[in-house]
Amino acid sequence: MTNPVQIIAVGAAVPAWRLPASEVAAAWGRKGGRGQAAACPPDEDVLTLAADAALRALAASGLQTDIVDGLWWGTSRPPFAEGPSHSFLAAAIGLSAKSGGTLCSGSAHSGLDALVSAADAVAAGSARVALVVASDAIIPGAGTGFEERAGAGAAAFVLTNDDGAASIGARVTRTHPYLDRYRGDQEGETRDIYDGRLFREEVFLPIMRDLGAPMAALDITAWSLPDPDGRLGTTVAKQLGAGTPASAVVYAAAGDTGAAAAMLGAIAALDTAGRVGIVGFGGGRATGIVVTADRPVPGAAGLADLLAVGRPASYAEVLRARNVLVPNGETVAMAVPPQSAQLVRGADEILGLLGARCVDCGTINTPPTIHPHCISCGSSKFVLEPIARHGVVHTYVINHTMPAPFQAPLPLAVVDLDDGARVMLQVAGDGKTLEIGSEVDLVLRRYAHERGVPVYGYKCAVRATTETTEETKT
Amino acid sequence: MSWNKVAVVGGGLIKFGELFEQSYEQMASGAFDAAVSAVDKGFDPSQVEAAFVATQRGTLWGQEGIGGNTVPTAIGLAGIPCTRIENACPSGSDAFRVGAMAVASGVHDVVLVIGVEKMRDKSGDEGLLARAASGHPVYTRGETAPVLFAPFATRHMYEFGTTREMLASVAVKNHYNGARNPNAHFKNEITIEDALKSAPVCHPLHLLDCCPQTDGAAAVLLVSAERAEEFTDNPVYVAGFGVATDHPYLHEKTTFTGLRATTLAAERAYKMAGVEPSQIDSAEVHDCFTITEILDIEDLGFFEKGEGGVASLEGETSLTGRIPVNTSGGLLAKGHPIGATGVAQIVECWSQLRGQADERQVEMRNGYALQHNVGGRGSGVSVINILTTNR
Repeated sequence: MTNPVQIIAVGAAVPAWRLPASEVAAAWGRKGGRGQAAACPPDEDVLTLAADAALRALAASGLQTDIVDGLWWGTSRPPFAEGPSHSFLAAAIGLSAKSGGTLCSGSAHSGLDALVSAADAVAAGSARVALVVASDAIIPGAGTGFEERAGAGAAAFVLTNDDGAASIGARVTRTHPYLDRYRGDQEGETRDIYDGRLFREEVFLPIMRDLGAPMAALDITAWSLPDPDGRLGTTVAKQLGAGTPASAVVYAAAGDTGAAAAMLGAIAALDTAGRVGIVGFGGGRATGIVVTADRPVPGAAGLADLLAVGRPASYAEVLRARNVLVPNGETVAMAVPPQSAQLVRGADEILGLLGARCVDCGTINTPPTIHPHCISCGSSKFVLEPIARHGVVHTYVINHTMPAPFQAPLPLAVVDLDDGARVMLQVAGDGKTLEIGSEVDLVLRRYAHERGVPVYGYKCAVRATTETTEETKT
Repeated sequence: MSWNKVAVVGGGLIKFGELFEQSYEQMASGAFDAAVSAVDKGFDPSQVEAAFVATQRGTLWGQEGIGGNTVPTAIGLAGIPCTRIENACPSGSDAFRVGAMAVASGVHDVVLVIGVEKMRDKSGDEGLLARAASGHPVYTRGETAPVLFAPFATRHMYEFGTTREMLASVAVKNHYNGARNPNAHFKNEITIEDALKSAPVCHPLHLLDCCPQTDGAAAVLLVSAERAEEFTDNPVYVAGFGVATDHPYLHEKTTFTGLRATTLAAERAYKMAGVEPSQIDSAEVHDCFTITEILDIEDLGFFEKGEGGVASLEGETSLTGRIPVNTSGGLLAKGHPIGATGVAQIVECWSQLRGQADERQVEMRNGYALQHNVGGRGSGVSVINILTTNR
């Protein structure tokens, strides 16, 4: 008898923006609009969210990234419609080039597809340490009823076969071929449910009853439940004899996070001991998993802070970031296309944030491929190593004058990292709190979207301080 | 003891500005004619043995790989040897240096150095600003020209208490001088208040901290020192020059309060010319942004490091100041047609040394004028030429 699969740590990510539902309602001439949803600024997407959550989970686990055997990633919509989504994320997290895993996609159910596949791999012994990430940033059809609630976020679990704070137990799955939310061929935006009453009475509630009843018999203390329309989550919870589901706080702060919703809702419950019923839904499938936490799961407590922050964004800003509101005229193309040699040569050093440490004088040269000789002593003997991801701003600018597709304001900073490396990178956000001496973390962000695909690199994220200096910057 | 192997016997420029009505070739022809007609004893164009042309980027008017052959045809001298020099913002000053070396080597006796730049054939967005997307896809993304200098302003302000008023005083002075230069792009005077209130371009730099995008061309005629008297009784000699490079990326800099390329080039130029900074009577320095002039006047040794801002605010670099800087109006007011800039600065030095700068004329006590450019990725290229009337 092998041990049940264990969850040793979790991590979450929520993008920087919050879109008030009232802004969307007003744009379409509707009254009201309740709550808000998390939304990606132009430099965040499903991959950067996944990387943020994964690195938080790995940090909470205390494990080194190179012992992870595989990455199981679930997202409705991978960043490359066809292409190297999984390998880009694996490289950005710093996983070994020998790591395996699977990309699950195509619907909001893909998060639990990833979790189940990873758990099976650990149970079968083919992976000793498995990293599961679910992330989504749905682009809802403009003017649809669920646009107000379509959110974004990511959740990550680190699974092993021993020593976890929580264990994965019973599992139940149902399939039923019906069309709920979908994106058609060649379409950029997700269509809403065709008929809300039809969906509720003939599809959603029957499946939830069928799936939930056997789970409820297992003395569930907290639920992570899907809430496709802002009311159904509560209805299902009542049917199952539960109070407010743990996942409600995630829906309230971040909206419907799609493929990430089930695991994010679970994280909301995993900061205390108990038995959590996790239900994922979408694409004609539903899966329930029972997780028993013997003690708080490392990393789970961080979710509340992530949900509490975020800056209000206007509907127009969000539409621009989603590429729904597009400027007329030409945009300036990147000097080298994403498929070209410079990005092939530089893939590891850009995504893995590598530097070349001079063996003779210790200076860290970044990026390595443009430094055959040390900038300090001229030596050509180097050791490649990941550079530090935390540092202090030495100087900075805020660029206000750039052609499309750039969006102003764009802050850039020269940063002295903890290991002595000096880098110059874009700064995430508008730079309003940026100062000489500001502490920053280096985070993966989307630098460009070119020839239909994303281009990723690291940016500085200014650490929140308790006292923000009120200096007005132009 | 100055080098003095080469003399400048003629120099001129066309009026700088947004010259939508002129082609690259027409601008080159105009500058060449201006230089020829400025030679005191007359000059037959067929005497030009070779030309060096500075054009920094043909891509701004659709010329990916412009060579040295466009200018000879444009000025009616098809067939002469002509080499295009491209070395970032110092392209013009480097073409001058290379032309001087060609004469000093004895290969040529009479050489044309000409700078021509078409900056405004494309829209602002598709022209110079498109640089935001050039270079490294991550490490230089968003790096428009002001990004190369604004971090120095931020740090200079932080370390030395330099203020936006001090930066603005540079723009005010250079516009004052430009208003007295018939060839300047801008001929309006401005106030410190105007500069402070202008729109933000790249924090902490605002619009009037930045030079404009300007079309223009300038030319000078170089001859061997021995033959100078055939052309003029008032020759100006090349006293010395210095060139230096620094790392091309900003994160490779060890300091953000000065430009190492300028410091190194200055050491070399002063040594070759046998002069001290205190002997320079007038200087045309690279003021693509106000902060750049403040860095320059410190890096060139006119003021102690950190004191350039106060010195500018107190008028020490004005026409009547201790060391007049950018009497032509500089890049800020005269304009910055990149390849033409260095050559036009030489023309201004030549005029000042010969006492022909009219309203802008400053007192020549020692007979030395200095010309300086700095630029390129990471502001890592600097060229300095020192001219003199002392034989």
